Amino acid sequence: MATPLRLCAVTFLNAWPLYQPLLERPPLDEDGEPLFSVEEALPSECARRLAAGECDVALVPVASYLEHPEWEVVPEVGIAARGAVQTVVVVSEVPLPEVTRIHLDAASRSSVLLLRTLLTTEGLEPELVPAPHGQGASRVRGTEAALVIGDAAFELPGRFAHHIDLGARWLALTGLPMVFAFWAARPGRLTEAHVRALHAARDRGIGQAEPLARRYCEQRLAAGLPAQDEAFYANYLRRTIRYRLDSWEREGLVEYIARSHELHLHDAGDVHVRFAAREHEGVAAARRARAPLRVDALLQRAAAGERLHLHEGIFLYEQADTLALGHAADQRRAALHPEGVVTYIIDRNVNYTNVCTARCKFCNFYVPPTRKLQEGYVHSKEVLAQKFRETEALGGVQILLQGGLNPDLRLEWYEDLFRWTKQNFSLRLHALSPTEIIHIAHLEDLSVAQVLQRLRAAGMDSLPGGGAEILHDEVRNRISPFKNTTDEWLEVMRQAHVLGMKTTCTMVFGFQETAEHTLVHLHRLRALQDEALARRRAHGEHHGQFTAFIVWPFQAEGTRLKLRDDTSPWRYLRVQALARLYLDNIPNLQVSWPTLGPEIGEVALRMGANDFGSVMIEENVVSQAGAHFMLTAEQIEHHIRAAGFSPRRRNMQYDWLPEAAQ
Amino acid sequence: MSPATDSARFRTVADKVRAGEPLAFDDGVFLYRYPDLLAVGALANEVRERLHGDRTYFNINFHINPTNVCEADCQFCSFARLQPGMPQAYTMSLDEIRGKLVERKDQPVTEIHIVSGLHGGVPWSWYTDTLRVLKELRPDIHLKAFTAVEIHFFAEKYGKSYAQALRELVDAGLGSLPGGGAEIFADRVRRKICRDKATAEQWLEVHRTAHRMGLRSNCTMLYGTVETLEERVDHMLRLRALQDETGGFQTFIPLAFHPDGNRLDKLPRPTGVDSLRTYAVGRLMLHNIPHIKAYWIMIGLDTAQIAQSFGVDDLDGTVQEEKIYHMAGADTPQVMTRTGLIRLIREAGRRAVERDTLYEVRWEDDGRPLPGIRVEASVPYSRHRKRVELSVL
Ligand code: SF4
Ligand code: SF4
Repeated sequence: MATPLRLCAVTFLNAWPLYQPLLERPPLDEDGEPLFSVEEALPSECARRLAAGECDVALVPVASYLEHPEWEVVPEVGIAARGAVQTVVVVSEVPLPEVTRIHLDAASRSSVLLLRTLLTTEGLEPELVPAPHGQGASRVRGTEAALVIGDAAFELPGRFAHHIDLGARWLALTGLPMVFAFWAARPGRLTEAHVRALHAARDRGIGQAEPLARRYCEQRLAAGLPAQDEAFYANYLRRTIRYRLDSWEREGLVEYIARSHELHLHDAGDVHVRFAAREHEGVAAARRARAPLRVDALLQRAAAGERLHLHEGIFLYEQADTLALGHAADQRRAALHPEGVVTYIIDRNVNYTNVCTARCKFCNFYVPPTRKLQEGYVHSKEVLAQKFRETEALGGVQILLQGGLNPDLRLEWYEDLFRWTKQNFSLRLHALSPTEIIHIAHLEDLSVAQVLQRLRAAGMDSLPGGGAEILHDEVRNRISPFKNTTDEWLEVMRQAHVLGMKTTCTMVFGFQETAEHTLVHLHRLRALQDEALARRRAHGEHHGQFTAFIVWPFQAEGTRLKLRDDTSPWRYLRVQALARLYLDNIPNLQVSWPTLGPEIGEVALRMGANDFGSVMIEENVVSQAGAHFMLTAEQIEHHIRAAGFSPRRRNMQYDWLPEAAQ
Repeated sequence: MSPATDSARFRTVADKVRAGEPLAFDDGVFLYRYPDLLAVGALANEVRERLHGDRTYFNINFHINPTNVCEADCQFCSFARLQPGMPQAYTMSLDEIRGKLVERKDQPVTEIHIVSGLHGGVPWSWYTDTLRVLKELRPDIHLKAFTAVEIHFFAEKYGKSYAQALRELVDAGLGSLPGGGAEIFADRVRRKICRDKATAEQWLEVHRTAHRMGLRSNCTMLYGTVETLEERVDHMLRLRALQDETGGFQTFIPLAFHPDGNRLDKLPRPTGVDSLRTYAVGRLMLHNIPHIKAYWIMIGLDTAQIAQSFGVDDLDGTVQEEKIYHMAGADTPQVMTRTGLIRLIREAGRRAVERDTLYEVRWEDDGRPLPGIRVEASVPYSRHRKRVELSVL
């Protein structure tokens, strides 16, 4: 029996939806013991108690995390705002540039750091002096201002000549939301059950905005304090504050930490947040079945097309000989593609912008928004037209269009670009990975489905499966904590399939992931493809699905990830062969020769793959990290023949192109 | 041939291999043509593991090419300059040769590999002295020097028998013969690509003589020029016959033709599949030659890694110590660090063994963490070992 975690929450109204449900209906563990014992304090006090070990979990200001990178953060929950937040404000009688001193009203480190970031960006240097909680506003006079946070700020609008909402300022500066606080825990304390309970509490709390607002109102009036009406508070809880830290909030989070660092306001070097990972239920269920396993029996079964269980896949990954795996995969490939044909496509990879907010550790392509003027680019139509024309001239049929998460590019920009492409070129658009779709959806405050619909109407044909890396949050949290989660990624693909779009899926290995991570990745792709195929059976072939799977090794050169994991061709071939066996419902497997070289590509064709990928006319993201292979169509055909197959050109749908067109 | 008769035939060949019977010419050609590449690889791997278990050998050596002046004019050669005085032609002085070793005096080099052009404009003593100056500096170092083509040339040029020339070189410090110059034995091919150097018979005779004197040697095959698959198998069989007679070959080294900067550069490079198949067929045909070596400089590190499952048990290429590598700051495909090589071997589930020229073991990987290999991804896939846990960052 475990003792409950001591949890310290913030008394401010905006924290109520996160912890009041814990008080009302305390979550219990399997033995019926409470998971948490709850206490309340001011934000800075919460952080102090957590640091001092006086509690195990606390709702802490984001900035306090910078001094405690060992803390573990509960994923996908926090306190954030997209624009005006109402409860982090600077009030004064003179305009901000004339302010000489700002009283910090018991303020949290986060709000102070945010204030200093905004001031420094504008070149302002007023004196900052601490003031006790509740006293800030009373010190505003002449050129002296106050930073007021929390509930006290509700009463301020209209009282001073100048009222600056820092959430709104941040949005104006960066185009991104601001994350103020999240649940952090001392390392090793959180279990799955705790994370799930905190998520459940949040979901319940969000649904209770009105009752909570009413109770808050009543409390204030009972204490003889001024109060707004219930609807005001309910609106604050329901609309102003966002309690889900999805990838958009995480983009804001990394921007905040990175920007303030670039301004030398703190010295927490590498931007990183350690999120705790949560297991997907489907995976937990798949893990259950157990039986004694034998490599050859499993391989025989898999080669014959029988489905592998998760634990069987893991077993094969760890135990099977590479050639034996490859041999079984080759048989499987022959059964799926008996024609002895290996396809390839002529397309061009165009990276339309390199400006990106996500700052993934493994990426050496992006330029953060703060340096966009120096190093960033967004391709103009002239540049794109040139590239597209060249592609057509080389017999290309498709553009693979991907880029960074650039807040300057709105949905209309993409729609316009796609329409223009369709009007002027006869190229298919294999465009925008789920990561970009999620970014655009948040930027426009639309659903993923809406964004996909509009882009599709504008000319997008299919979706590439980039940004998947390893679809397991334990790995993602380590290498790209600010990018979309596994669930978010899969959801985009689900929506795209529902809308009738075909998509591909990918994996990048070499991030020190385990066999388990690798197989869970394959497992979740297979499960989603099952859904898609069921939909097609039930509702018709116009629904989408995954067409192909592509795996390649992580290229560490020039990135911030100083990993030395095994990214050898040997491992590549193992993963690829295993993928052919495990992904029994994804028809095509593409070789990734640009990262491995055509020689290994040939071998890969004999170990499960049936597609040689693309004549890479351009591939920035990979080539920046040191892959420099280039092949012409003739060379590709030569390598395909060397492996004993006949080459054939295809389009994205994996339809063969007529011979005459070649 | 139909798929069914093919796989029946493959099983017959596999049975022969398992029974230790030598394969026939037709078997070799069949293995080259059999569509199931991995089955051929797996069979070669069986032989390789029977002979060497999970060991993959490497040694630390360096090359000296004392001159690139050559009287021959091989079509595939990008090295030779025909006349002294031609642009880029060079002939080292003895001091320069000595200097090559002095440069590396802090490295644990155990072998120097010396190969030259056929330069008749220098006295015989220049060749013997080349060995002598190196031995003076490092008496313990092994000199693997002069291909059979060079020995044949010396014999003709300086009026000696093979045995005499070899004897004088041994006296000067020669330790063994490299396997170069064999190219493809078939006359048809030799006439096309290397007509003015030692014939097949002469090449074999030099090695026969050397073996009789107690010298060890290697043998090679240049593949990917104008030869047929039949001619490759024939080449292997001639090597096998001499090995039956003398037992003096240590290692068979298939050499992939490189089309850069020579007169055959219209030809494509041998493909990855061709290289792997050649290693595998070599392993299967040459049951009596202990080692099969891949030159990763020729086929690339990636293919070399995979080749370890296609019969190869020895990886060769310039291996340098970390220090020098880091000073140079370059990740050229010409140079590999020792840990880099061990890592590559470990990743393929094998155990690295550093050897000297005569395959005496100098160091053996015990799977312990090595500087520069942060993740002991080591040996997770070998059937010979248990998985080593990854340390997660
Ligand atoms: S991988 Fe993509 S999302 Fe991540 S930083 Fe690079 S461009 Fe941005
Ligand atoms: S003998 Fe050797 S060095 Fe001379 S041309 Fe032929 S291959 Fe080149």
